[in-house]
Amino acid sequence: MSIVAIFVNVLLFLLLAPLFEGVMRRITARVQSRQGPPIVQPYYDLFKLLGKERINSAGNWAFKLAPLAALASILAVVSLVPFGSRVNALGGRVDAITVVYLLTLGGVSVLLGALASRNTFAAIGASREMVTMVMVEPVLAMTLILGAVRTHSLGLGPAVFSTAGAGFSLSTGVMLVAYLLALQAFVAKQPFDIPEAEIEILEGPFIEYSGPDYGMFRIYMMMKQMFYAWLFVAVFIPIGRTGLYPLNILLQLLGTLVVFVVIALVGSTNPRLRIDQAVKIYAVLILIALGAVGLAVAGV
Amino acid sequence: MDAIARIETGLKGRFGADIKGLSSPSPARLFVDVDRRALRASSKMLIELGGRYMVGIGYDEIARNGTLGLIHTFAFDADHVAVVLRTSAPASDPTFDSITPDIPNAGWSEREYQDLLGMKFTGHPKPKRLILADDWPDGIYPLRKEVPYNLEPPAAEDVAYRLDEAPPGTTIVPVGPFHVSLHEPEHFAVYVDGETIKGCDYRGFMTHRGIEKLCQTQVSYNEVPFVAERICGICGSVHAVCYAQAVETAAGIPISRRAEYIRTIMLEIERLHSHLLWLGIAGHLIGFDTVFMQAWRVREKVMWLAERITGNRKTYGMVVIGGVRRDITPEIRAEIEGLLATLEKEVMVLKNAVIGDSAIHRRTKGVGFLSKEDTIRWSLVGPVARARGLRLDARKDHPYAAYGDMTFDVPVVDSCDVWGTLVVRVLEIFESIAILRQALAGMPADGPILTAIPEALPPLRHAVSMVEAPRGESVHYVITGEENRPERWRVRAPTYPNLQAVPAMLLDNQFADFPIILGQIDPCFSCTDRVAVVDAGTGAKRVLGRAELEGMSRKPEGGGSRS
Amino acid sequence: MWLASKIKQVLMVMKPGVVTLKYPFEPRPAPENFRGAPHWDHTKCIGCAGCAEHCPARTIMVRDLCQEIRVLLYDGSRCTYCGRCAEVCPEKAIVMTPRFEQATDDRNDITENLELFMLTCQRCGRCYDMETTSAIDKLGLTGYRYDSLEARTVIRKATDSFRPKELEATERYERPGKTGD
Repeated sequence: MSIVAIFVNVLLFLLLAPLFEGVMRRITARVQSRQGPPIVQPYYDLFKLLGKERINSAGNWAFKLAPLAALASILAVVSLVPFGSRVNALGGRVDAITVVYLLTLGGVSVLLGALASRNTFAAIGASREMVTMVMVEPVLAMTLILGAVRTHSLGLGPAVFSTAGAGFSLSTGVMLVAYLLALQAFVAKQPFDIPEAEIEILEGPFIEYSGPDYGMFRIYMMMKQMFYAWLFVAVFIPIGRTGLYPLNILLQLLGTLVVFVVIALVGSTNPRLRIDQAVKIYAVLILIALGAVGLAVAGV
Repeated sequence: MDAIARIETGLKGRFGADIKGLSSPSPARLFVDVDRRALRASSKMLIELGGRYMVGIGYDEIARNGTLGLIHTFAFDADHVAVVLRTSAPASDPTFDSITPDIPNAGWSEREYQDLLGMKFTGHPKPKRLILADDWPDGIYPLRKEVPYNLEPPAAEDVAYRLDEAPPGTTIVPVGPFHVSLHEPEHFAVYVDGETIKGCDYRGFMTHRGIEKLCQTQVSYNEVPFVAERICGICGSVHAVCYAQAVETAAGIPISRRAEYIRTIMLEIERLHSHLLWLGIAGHLIGFDTVFMQAWRVREKVMWLAERITGNRKTYGMVVIGGVRRDITPEIRAEIEGLLATLEKEVMVLKNAVIGDSAIHRRTKGVGFLSKEDTIRWSLVGPVARARGLRLDARKDHPYAAYGDMTFDVPVVDSCDVWGTLVVRVLEIFESIAILRQALAGMPADGPILTAIPEALPPLRHAVSMVEAPRGESVHYVITGEENRPERWRVRAPTYPNLQAVPAMLLDNQFADFPIILGQIDPCFSCTDRVAVVDAGTGAKRVLGRAELEGMSRKPEGGGSRS
Repeated sequence: MWLASKIKQVLMVMKPGVVTLKYPFEPRPAPENFRGAPHWDHTKCIGCAGCAEHCPARTIMVRDLCQEIRVLLYDGSRCTYCGRCAEVCPEKAIVMTPRFEQATDDRNDITENLELFMLTCQRCGRCYDMETTSAIDKLGLTGYRYDSLEARTVIRKATDSFRPKELEATERYERPGKTGD
């Protein structure tokens, strides 16, 4: 059963990520007083992209490898996580640090692709992406470490479900705030969608990508978004803890949907910040997250 | 009158015999004919007397008397006077002294005539090609009368424009010719060090359409406003009205008061839609698409109103020489008034939502700084100047159409950055609404809207006309001609002077702010195109030195100016 | 302040709701006075060619096929919908219709071709006078001027003042070298 859970994870994430993205685009459109694309539009976009010609404009192997590596990393992450409050066969053998490594691997693949592109705009996008990753991934890591500290286990299940295991506390509350504020940066939406600033640097890291390679990056981004939104629900919101596996999945998906709505609303009512301004905000978030971990260590 | 007398005595006293003629056909205009030896000194004197440089005009008189004429126009805003300085040089030796070392803004005007008329300007700090493509053959000057308007020399391969060298330690980020934040093809080569901008070079005029040449050779007086309207994608009416005013002044055609009021109404409607458009674009450039969509949603109503009045959303086609083509009926008047009430409410909502937003403050305050002194030195116009404490508005300084009767404020702030331009433009929307209400109320109840022109317009009369476009002051210079068309028509859109100062505004800002800094001048490249050149400028540099790009695109090592 | 701004921004959108239309299924008709494509009424046209004379885009052409037949061709490819033709027409034969969806792949869809049978004047052999002054002269007064009467029957050539010698000069000049030279 826990092996089936792996496939359930991967399929659900793969198939539903574009749907959530479509919901976000629809909400953004409604905030902007327009109709918006149909909710299934990202599926159409992906199919169209996958059907195009594959062009290797940079001419090197790193360019071809990068999207594959990114997709592989995020698929690995989703196959490990305890979706639906059930630790699956793989998840039982890894711990929280693996997840952090794999997510970082995804980010590094984007950097690899950008730097392999040999394009000035991609280089600027890569530098912004690097700065963002360095400043924002610690908050994620600290969320998982908080769970680990509170449940005294680095296992993935306990770390993620720390509130189930050890109840709500002040440190969890503080970490909730930090995670929520960083959520926009995790999912790369305004005000923190700096690496892919369309207006300034023409899509940044992905400028030279097209066709199936770009499609792979897009699905990677969508799955990453869905993962972070789901993680918020899994760690901080105590729903989906009933005994029934399908019911858990449904409840967590609904929670993710609500988080997406919030992301969309915040994203559509904010301008994009500059990287130097964003870095200051990230620094504050890291401090808050550290504070939360400190509180947890102190037993609060 | 005082001002004109003062200027006349000043010039005559200093230059004596070099002043070949002085004439003042109206209390607001002074035409000075000067020998070319005294051109630079007299220009400098006019600036010292309080003038502001507007534009230079070159024209071909070879068939008539073997000379090439050059005109520099100056505005004395506080005295409500425009001074036109005319000179000429024989075609065999078309050399003039460059006035650019004293007046930086003349740089482009002079380069333009170097390209288009073959004039030479001694002492010009950067005599590079401005308008013509780099593979255009030497020796063929398009504005000269012997060159046909549709000459197309075959293109050469592999000839690109030479950009200036990047300062050491910087990389070049090519913004253009195609870039998402630019609406027309322009090339800004931005020199960045990490994310900080250290300099900029600009090459534009890629979509130069040759409108002036076309209207001097192919179309007639009344067809020119239809072409003029299409110079710009946003401020069409401004160019048509400015041209019509220039011709009417030159030929002495009086137009009815009702027509003047209708022109005023059309100009203010245009200002409304243009400022709302800018608000949206500014939001888009800082990544805030919701402001973009909402501002344009409000703007759509203005476009519908324009369509109802004129028959088209943007190319109003209202202006001909002698008046306007369509009248404002009572039904249309009621619609305008209804729209103004709605608009005021909606723009107030928009303003409250935008003004207090600290996220927008972070992206616009302190960005694109240019001091008041630099603004004066560069002769900038429009909301860019008004955001830096300069009270410049052609509607008040050189009243035209029905603006003399209107009471309104000119919003001026002195924050010297992009935020200031945003505030100025939002306030101007409310002022426009007030002007529209006054115009509707004060319009003469009936009367002709088009003056009959019984005979041909007298040729070879000069006139200059200024109109406040949403982006700043638009200047048209017309020399009436034979054959029912202007002999020379020079269009200077407000973006022409404003673009010359963009490098100075860009320096030491973050690259992410590039679009919004460029956006603060509300660039209308199609009005300007004709050109765009960006010279990186530091605040300390006074002059476009010979290696001006070098000097401008590097930080000063120890400061000091280079001449 | 910031949060208040954000809330105001979301509320700003609630009132108007969605304003876009599912065009072309929800079309929005043009208002009256809209300047769409012009349409000629051949029963009213007297063949004065005032429209051709005043078209800034030179997209109306008039040619006499023979003594009695005058052809007026509106080739809408360059039309800017300025409406001068409709304004100038002394017989009000031209109407600016509200048609603006003019995109087509067949030029004939936007062409109007009138073949007019002209009566001849007994004195001069051309089109006859109407009420003491001709339509052309009436047009001449209200703010418009003519360039030349000959242009009534044939469009102005675009390159009247072109001298082929100019082009020769361009072949012989010195071209700038390649980039990097």
